[in-house]
Amino acid sequence: MPRVGVFICQCGNNIASTVDTKKVAEEVAGLPGVVFTCDYKFMCSSPGQEMLKNAIKEHRLDSVVISACSPHMHEKTFRKASESAGLNPYRCEIANIREQCSWVHHDRTKKTGTIKSIDLTRMTIERVKRSRSLTKIKIPITKRALVIGGGIAGIQSALDMADGGVEVIVVEREPSIGGNMARLSETFPTMDCSQCILTPKMVEAELHENIRLYTYSEVERIDGYIGNFTVEIRKKARYVDEELCTGCGECIEKCPFKSGSEFELALRNRKVIYTPFPQAVPNIPVIDARNCPKIQKNKCGACAIVCGPKAIDFSQKDRIVTEKVGAIVVATGYELMPNERFGEYGYGRIKDVINGLQFERLASSSGPTGGEIRRPSDGKVPKSVVFIQCVGSRDEKRGVPYCSKICCMYTAKHTMLYKHKVHDGQAYVFYMDIRSGGKRYEEFVRRAIEHEGSMYLRGRVSRVYERNGKVIVQGADTLSGSQVEIEADMVVLATAIVARSGADTLAKKLGIGYDRYNFYNEYHPKLRPVETTTAGIYLAGTCIGPMDIPDSVSQGSAAASKVLSLFAGDELAREPQTARVNTMTCNACWDCLTACPYSAIEREEVKDRRGETIRWLARVNEGVCQGCGVCVAVCRSKSIDLNGYTDEEIYAAINAF
Amino acid sequence: MSENWEPRIMAFVCNWCTYAGADLAGTSRMEYKPNVRIIRFPCTGRIDPLFIIKAFENGADGVLVSGCHPGDCHYTTGNYHARRRWIGFKNLMEFVGIDTGRLHFSWVSASEAGKWVDLINRITEEVKKLGPFLEYRRLK
Amino acid sequence: MERELRDTARRLLEDKTVGVVVGYSWNRKKTRTTPVFVTKPEDAERLIFNPLCVNNLSVYLTRKYPDVRALGRIGIVAKGCDIRNIVVLMAEGQIQREDIYIIGMTCSGVVYRQELWEGELKPEIMPTKCHNCDVRNPHLADTVIGERVSFTPPETPQGVVFDRIREIEGMSPSERWEFWMGHFSRCIKCYACRQVCSLCYCERCITDKNMPQWIETSAHPRGNLAWNLIRAMHLFGRCTFCGECERACPVNIPLNILNQKLAMVAKEAFDYSSGYDPEVHPPLRVFDPEDREDFIK
Repeated sequence: MPRVGVFICQCGNNIASTVDTKKVAEEVAGLPGVVFTCDYKFMCSSPGQEMLKNAIKEHRLDSVVISACSPHMHEKTFRKASESAGLNPYRCEIANIREQCSWVHHDRTKKTGTIKSIDLTRMTIERVKRSRSLTKIKIPITKRALVIGGGIAGIQSALDMADGGVEVIVVEREPSIGGNMARLSETFPTMDCSQCILTPKMVEAELHENIRLYTYSEVERIDGYIGNFTVEIRKKARYVDEELCTGCGECIEKCPFKSGSEFELALRNRKVIYTPFPQAVPNIPVIDARNCPKIQKNKCGACAIVCGPKAIDFSQKDRIVTEKVGAIVVATGYELMPNERFGEYGYGRIKDVINGLQFERLASSSGPTGGEIRRPSDGKVPKSVVFIQCVGSRDEKRGVPYCSKICCMYTAKHTMLYKHKVHDGQAYVFYMDIRSGGKRYEEFVRRAIEHEGSMYLRGRVSRVYERNGKVIVQGADTLSGSQVEIEADMVVLATAIVARSGADTLAKKLGIGYDRYNFYNEYHPKLRPVETTTAGIYLAGTCIGPMDIPDSVSQGSAAASKVLSLFAGDELAREPQTARVNTMTCNACWDCLTACPYSAIEREEVKDRRGETIRWLARVNEGVCQGCGVCVAVCRSKSIDLNGYTDEEIYAAINAF
Repeated sequence: MSENWEPRIMAFVCNWCTYAGADLAGTSRMEYKPNVRIIRFPCTGRIDPLFIIKAFENGADGVLVSGCHPGDCHYTTGNYHARRRWIGFKNLMEFVGIDTGRLHFSWVSASEAGKWVDLINRITEEVKKLGPFLEYRRLK
Repeated sequence: MERELRDTARRLLEDKTVGVVVGYSWNRKKTRTTPVFVTKPEDAERLIFNPLCVNNLSVYLTRKYPDVRALGRIGIVAKGCDIRNIVVLMAEGQIQREDIYIIGMTCSGVVYRQELWEGELKPEIMPTKCHNCDVRNPHLADTVIGERVSFTPPETPQGVVFDRIREIEGMSPSERWEFWMGHFSRCIKCYACRQVCSLCYCERCITDKNMPQWIETSAHPRGNLAWNLIRAMHLFGRCTFCGECERACPVNIPLNILNQKLAMVAKEAFDYSSGYDPEVHPPLRVFDPEDREDFIK
């Protein structure tokens, strides 16, 4: 016979004003199996909890019902108290008679609230009688982390984790880490040089004893679950042996062929064997196989001839490396929306219309012009430059509805950089609004306008075209209510920030959510901003949405701290609310396996002594199962049940209706 | 049917959206009809048609199933699976003659306390008009 | 046709391609057909095929019949409609394609019930499924026996089952309720509908589970309703409308109407018809974010 204790909370007057708690306690006292009932002013207070604990011991209760506030409030409190009195915490259930009863039924005669409270308590009593003792699931953890993306967010995350003593693997798609930040000239609002603050971190990551870099590599496949992921990484053929190469650069020198530089965004050519930029980490060149005559037609091979350590290997193939990790930080970053979508701005058609990142390269001292602002078409110094903001951003029809967040700031920075380099030049900015929230950000924009003489025009540009070697910009100045036409030498578009191409494919491999713009979904946008709903996978930086460098770095560190706290213990304790299979009756129809949102169900082969297959069964991987119960409802033979929400418990509750 | 008769309504809701939305109605001190009894599930994906049948067998005059809006599921896709099942089940129940006013499906998010209040009031009224589900209770 | 069938079966048994051929044979009086399990080549002569071969033999491929499975690879004589069930069994991992050998029979229709046979196949003794059949030439088989049948099913399905569905849909809820309770109240819970169905392959049916006992086992109207609703739901998106349940029902509950109604829902809501492609998931284990939800408020 069960021994149920029932505790009705008055919650001061919160419950007691519309529910006769004493009556509820009396009514349910007569139910079979109920051996103790009481009502009390504040069950969650320490005397209340003491009362609960004492009753559990004194009356040898095997399960308890607390009729009180929502389980979202104090389920944990009461389960903990029960546990400390020796009761299995999962044998404590809450009947919600506050949020869903006393607070929503204002009948002061207490009739309505009392009747409903009795019903809810009775249903919970019947349910708790069928509840089972459960123990937390313990999962061993592999204390290694994977960072996908070697931009500033990924680098920061990797460094923090590595400093915390965790082995970190960084996978970067490009031949060097550094990401988009490596392209920037100066950074707002401090105007410190991007390379100067980034490259030391890149080098630190390269030299850190706990960090292993896989550049020119991509994540091919991910299996497993929190604490126990298996990752397959495709190391793309570099045609240069990383062990042998000394990074002397002789091969690059001698290579007679050129192709457009990805890093320089087509503003300059690079050799066919190349490092993306001088400070690349690792400083090991890559052969652009598509444009290499040796690889394509077996002609040339100059690089191999000059290479001292014989590091050039034309026969190299892509290689798959498998790594085991316990946590994953995704920091795949952003790219710019293709400007060609906006025909009126002439991008792609007019050579001197460029985007913001291209301007960064023009302004960068390591860029194609050595830091002099020279326009792409003829190399002349532009005397007048028009900057157009919100190209694609906040444009629901043709672009994206969101604000790309950093453009207002970097455009202000661009006008300053321009002014510093071309003293007699004039910068014009077409803007919709200036959004400069952030420490010292507004002051920065004011400086650009007030001290540096940038001309800010509130309005949209309607047309950009060429005339006599000039780029003519027509637009509206809505503040003065006039049409303006500017004869510019160059136009810079602040194009919308979008998720990396292939972000959705990676999300599917990882099993994490993404929005309609392919930005990754946080577990909770405010309270759990660097976690995903897939346990063990964390996010950092602009793969979540547009953000600036300080935010990306903070998120990198935040994700690292999440991983470090996950790795603090040797095993992981998880809530035992997971599915389990009845192996006697499973039909192996795989409905559950197909329907499971977490791929937590596996095929298990049952063999006899001779090793022959007798049958197949579905098996739940407790480490992966999140306890949603989708599998339970699709199983026709009722061969899966969900701990904590078993069919028996639900049946009992419905029958007590 | 007496004037004072009040319908009994069973609600199967998910923990993350509708249950939280109903909680919010409480913390906001809204008021609604007291005819509903909630059973909480992790996800609408856990809810089996058997539960609905069992609720009617136990004297429910109406049943409500409610969870997260599409795209909001805590388990990403549980409510999509539930929706498919309901398409079949609702058609089946209608086909055997259960009045559509007795079986309701809804999406109520954690912030839609007002929607929850309106929903319960509306369903209670609708079921009240239909009267006690004597047809089902007579099946003995 | 029968000659070719027998020769094929004999050859398959002789060269040990299969361990057993499941097919049709005459009863002793040669008035009815009955399933037969041929394991010896010489017994292949017992096989027949004619419009009385109405049984859906695919049920013998399921885990309900471990004895048949124990005989080795199974050769099965199957009409197109039977093959649809085989396809579902494959989609649900119950059989592997290589474990069976399908002897597909072209078919011009069968009788609704064998008792109706008077020596000639007339449209009025054929079940609704035959009038709308698009698999008279088997769509998935290792060998096909019989002349190719040229038959185009009507664009909108026709026949008594569809007429009845429309009729019931036109009733008021209480009339529908009366209609079905009238039928379900006759149910004697013999579970013949379940036994004969190749898609009701659960080793332990939900009615046989008692922790908890969701469906009352005694034959009274409330439990009968629960059983019939859940049976229909468990076949939603899976049932191929083969009609065996209705044929087997000793109290004539019109289960075809219920099953076909849900098949129509699956077709309309998910554009899914069961039993055509083993690579396509049955609809209830997958979803489409764009599924209709006009009924969800």
